[in-house]
Amino acid sequence: MNETLVSCTALTKRYGNKTALKGVNLELGRGRIVGLLGPNGSGKTTLIKILCGLLQPTEGAVLVDGQAVGPYTKSIISYLPDRMYFADWMKATDLFDLFADFYKDFDRTRAMSMCASLGVTPSDRLKSMSKGTKEKVQLVLVMARKAQLYLLDEPIAGVDPAARDFILSTILTNYNEEGTVLISTHLISDIEKVLDEAVFLKEGEITLHDTVDNIREREGKSVDALFREVFRAHNIEGGAF
Amino acid sequence: MFGKLLKYDFRSMFKQFAFIWPAALALAVVNHFTMNAMTTVSGDGAFGTSTVGTTTAGIAMLVYVAILMAMFIVALVFTIQRFYKGLLGDEGYLMHTLPVRPWQLIGSKLLCAVVTTFLSVVVAVLSILIIFPWGREDFQELFNAFRYLFSHWSSEATNAVLGIIELLLLMLVSFATGFLELYLAMSIGHLFNKNRVAMSVIAFIAVNAVMTTLLNAVSPGLEHILNNIVGNWDTIASFHSTVWIVIAGELVLSAIYFAGTEFILRKKLNLE
Repeated sequence: MNETLVSCTALTKRYGNKTALKGVNLELGRGRIVGLLGPNGSGKTTLIKILCGLLQPTEGAVLVDGQAVGPYTKSIISYLPDRMYFADWMKATDLFDLFADFYKDFDRTRAMSMCASLGVTPSDRLKSMSKGTKEKVQLVLVMARKAQLYLLDEPIAGVDPAARDFILSTILTNYNEEGTVLISTHLISDIEKVLDEAVFLKEGEITLHDTVDNIREREGKSVDALFREVFRAHNIEGGAF
Repeated sequence: MFGKLLKYDFRSMFKQFAFIWPAALALAVVNHFTMNAMTTVSGDGAFGTSTVGTTTAGIAMLVYVAILMAMFIVALVFTIQRFYKGLLGDEGYLMHTLPVRPWQLIGSKLLCAVVTTFLSVVVAVLSILIIFPWGREDFQELFNAFRYLFSHWSSEATNAVLGIIELLLLMLVSFATGFLELYLAMSIGHLFNKNRVAMSVIAFIAVNAVMTTLLNAVSPGLEHILNNIVGNWDTIASFHSTVWIVIAGELVLSAIYFAGTEFILRKKLNLE
């Protein structure tokens, strides 16, 4: 087993003439909860999509557990996208069947008990569920796996503050403790208390990667306060006002 | 893993066709009776020649033809949608993060689409056989014909059976080629960030134009080679070789389309 779970080297992604990631170097170890923090359009989703194989980098290399992105890395990554990915005709239980078929680490019993505690009826058709319930189903699918790497893209962006705590506690009580959780968000104050490490992404470049404790000690302020400072300064430099 | 993908693709296919296939067959049964009523009772001036009778038979036939047409349209729409929505739309976020390779995703959709279309053809043929006013004598005759065929098995019979198998194979391969061309066009269309559907249509026209031009360019040479292989085109043997050559040609086209689609999904995936 590699001590380094994720390793990105000089990772660059361009869309036409727009550069979403500029030479990103990032190493993540195991058993951490890492915040991928940056404002909208800073490249968070692009980085996550490259890690789970939905995008190919223009330049640079990615290794997950020492392997290039492919069926093996996909089998150890549990990915929560920023959208719904179900076929309408399915029930939540159909999706559990699918996950149990394709992912050896999917725990069906745990999925059912998570449904119970989240108030989801898994035998209902997805078509008849509300948006919030569908999001919960997707969260159950992702967290009922004993994955090495959880990639959670904006898991709390679309929900009210009460639901945020609920989702965060679901993540915290269910993730595989030997695995690493990478959460992308711009709502830092809500998740700061659960983070071990923070990665600041600014216009496609990593400007900071450290443990939350180090950041607090060195800067004498919370990650949230630092984030506001860093990204406010950027606006003025950019001549936005 | 490929088998598991097939399981889910076939499951969604059966959901889609669970109604329309039985409905086509049931309507064929209805038409069998309305048509028979027309032809058998007409001498007595009863149901068959009455306005009610002919109108009923006409409507039943119309509904049957409509559902048959709908069946093939649904099959085509199903083929396009399962690829476009399933791999290039939001569902792609699930399918492309499963621990499988892109060729398996395409192969599974393709196999499912070919089987769906083939089963629709089978249902159509079956329904026509059902409508046909079979009498007891007809079955007897058919049975006798088969018995004769098998007891006096001849080279003609071999050729006929082989010919039918070859044409069936050609049909399946042509379906595959057609679907793969659609897949390639949609994959090219999805590379654009706007108007993906329109771009897919344009890509389809472009792929078609390129292929036609290529085919026209190589066809004189191809004809020459074919003439050398097949020789005299009038013999039965030349029929078989011609079908096989066409099958081979379709397979080459399929391989090109498949490789293009696979490359795009593996290297250029661009989900919204």
